[in-house]
Amino acid sequence: MQAENISGKILSLMEENPDITIKEISESLSVSEDLIEETLRKMSDARQKILIVDDEMDALLALKVALEAEGYNIVEAKDGYEAIDTAHSENPDVILLDLMIPGIDGFEVCRQLKSDPVYSHIPVIMLTARGEIDDKVEGIELGADDYVTKPFNLKELKARIKMILRRNQDA
Amino acid sequence: MWDRKSKWNLVLFAAVVLLLISSIVFLWMKTNTEVRSVVEEQYQNQQLLLTRQVSSSIERTLNERVLLLEVIANKDTGVPPDNFRSDLKSVYDVAGMFYVVEYVNEDGTIVSGYPEDNVPLGFNLYENKQSRAFERVKNTGQVYITDPLRLMEGNYGSFIWVPVHEDDEFRGAFIAIIREEDLKSRYVVASNSSNYAYLLDDRGRVLYDESENYERGTSYAEILGSDSSGLLDIISKQVNGTEGNGKYLVLNNGTVVEERLVSYSPINWYNQKWSLALTSPSSEVDRLIVSVYLKLFIVVAVSVLFIVFVSSFIVIILFNWSKSLEQEVDEKTQELKDSNESLRAANKKLKELDRLKTEFLSIVSHELKTPLTAMKTSGEFLLETEECDRSLRKKMLDIIIRNIDRQSRMVDDLLDISRIESDRMKFNKEPVDIEETIKVSLEVVDTIIRNKDMKVAVSVPDDLEIITTDKDKLVQVFVNLLNNAVKFSNKGGTIKINVEDETDSLRISVSDNGIGMGPEEVEKIFDKFYQIDSTSTRRVGGSGLGLSIVKGIIEGQGGTITVRSEPGKGSTFVFTLMK
Repeated sequence: MQAENISGKILSLMEENPDITIKEISESLSVSEDLIEETLRKMSDARQKILIVDDEMDALLALKVALEAEGYNIVEAKDGYEAIDTAHSENPDVILLDLMIPGIDGFEVCRQLKSDPVYSHIPVIMLTARGEIDDKVEGIELGADDYVTKPFNLKELKARIKMILRRNQDA
Repeated sequence: MWDRKSKWNLVLFAAVVLLLISSIVFLWMKTNTEVRSVVEEQYQNQQLLLTRQVSSSIERTLNERVLLLEVIANKDTGVPPDNFRSDLKSVYDVAGMFYVVEYVNEDGTIVSGYPEDNVPLGFNLYENKQSRAFERVKNTGQVYITDPLRLMEGNYGSFIWVPVHEDDEFRGAFIAIIREEDLKSRYVVASNSSNYAYLLDDRGRVLYDESENYERGTSYAEILGSDSSGLLDIISKQVNGTEGNGKYLVLNNGTVVEERLVSYSPINWYNQKWSLALTSPSSEVDRLIVSVYLKLFIVVAVSVLFIVFVSSFIVIILFNWSKSLEQEVDEKTQELKDSNESLRAANKKLKELDRLKTEFLSIVSHELKTPLTAMKTSGEFLLETEECDRSLRKKMLDIIIRNIDRQSRMVDDLLDISRIESDRMKFNKEPVDIEETIKVSLEVVDTIIRNKDMKVAVSVPDDLEIITTDKDKLVQVFVNLLNNAVKFSNKGGTIKINVEDETDSLRISVSDNGIGMGPEEVEKIFDKFYQIDSTSTRRVGGSGLGLSIVKGIIEGQGGTITVRSEPGKGSTFVFTLMK
């Protein structure tokens, strides 16, 4: 949230004074120059942002490497609470949500995001090791846009992500 | 209190009851009257029969005695030389009831007789002006019997005059005297108090009355008539010489004292026409009826008692029977309920087991698929991107290898669990030094301990002997417990391993000062795949099988394992190991 607030303020400062320096912004907002720089870098990152939520570090790491290689900007979350916070602060273009995560589970995360009008537009792809029909139905009912069963085919996943992103852009 | 309807009902009910009672009483009274009249009739008939029997017996006896005299009086041989003395003696002996028998010759002089003491020999009737009866006999030639007369001895007796003829010539007469008391002694049997007999002659004068409270020769009607309504009719019938039954009321100052039933029968003794009567109070009939009723009542009462006894016996038997049946039914119902309950419990348990099985499968599939996901993603990435830098390539290969290890550990754990659950776990016993074993175990978990900056304190007794157990399994126990302790500890925490020597076992504890857990969690800590929080939201990795395997290994070797824990203060696992 902090980063978002800052980004809004940075933007308004830059609107007032197009020649303002990072140092001046830093002084007027009384935050570190590094944070300003980081925020500006993030703001200027044109890549599409994917939030991966998974508590299995290796799975997350492998997916992150694979998707970064595709040119996506990857943010990660290791549990349910972190997933919601990160979704709020980073406003990702798509969320890859593992079902079995600590804190609040994937279903609940999806429900909370989809019931909030500000974030309900973010597409959610559920990832889970379970392959049961019931899970799929529940996931779709809660507003998940797609459903991928672990272990997934990397090509298929990438294709699904692309498709969802395109659909969202068209809309 | 009573509403209109129930009031009417009550009145109707009372009316019906009264009607029933009065009709029963009426019927009973009617029956009673009929019974009484029948019994009375029967009683009177019986009494009449008795009277007839008595009177005919008396009549026969008296006539026979007179006939004896007539027989000798009309003998063809004429007056014997002893003036009938021997004949009279034999008559006297045969008759047995004469006071005296005498012979009076044609002159009216008593010339012989028997017994001599009672005979006034030479007594002349004409001289003593007592010839009236003699004259009558002489003139009529018929037997003549006098009314009871006063005898010279002072008592009363009847004189029987029998004319004596010889070839139609009057030769005098026999006189025989029957004393009243002799007659009485012969026929008046001791009767019970309620019966009463009297004897009248043909003019209604009393000859004998049981009360003996009468004046000789008075009319019976005069004695009792004024106090006895209906007696006059009876007396007039008796005087006419008929036989029959009657009744009269005994009055006292105009009120009825009692009713008496009379039966009378005539006694015809030559010229004497008597009438014998037996009376008894009609209360005798009542007494009879009452006694019959009493017997009937006793029979009914005994029957009723018997029926009541038998039926209550049957009722008791039936009641007990039904009670025992009821009890049996209750027991069976309870049994059914119990078995139903246990079936329900078993069903619940089975459902729970089924749920656990499904959950187990789901978890196992997740645990097996997760490393596969990492491997597959990494593998596919490497396959796609032919030209990637070395470090990225190494990173991906590391992921693959790491997950292969994890997968094989998982498979090992699952195999262990499967062996434990089917009791197929094998223990290779060998001499084991506990201290060394702990060291080996600590080396295995060295990396994760150092990652968390944790300290480990080991306390083993110096003189601890070598024990016999499965070394590899013991290492597995320590590693799992240490892994568990590290996982649930914060950075910089402390783990303590403490070994105590007990007589035939070792008591080993592994404790941490980590996050600990509550009582409900303690209960489930050894369940398969149980981790704090639900499986889908766990905070720490791991198969969730470690503690189940530990428990299986410890208990498989005859030991026990317990856990003490408090949220925020850490947990202590204590297990025993047989030496």
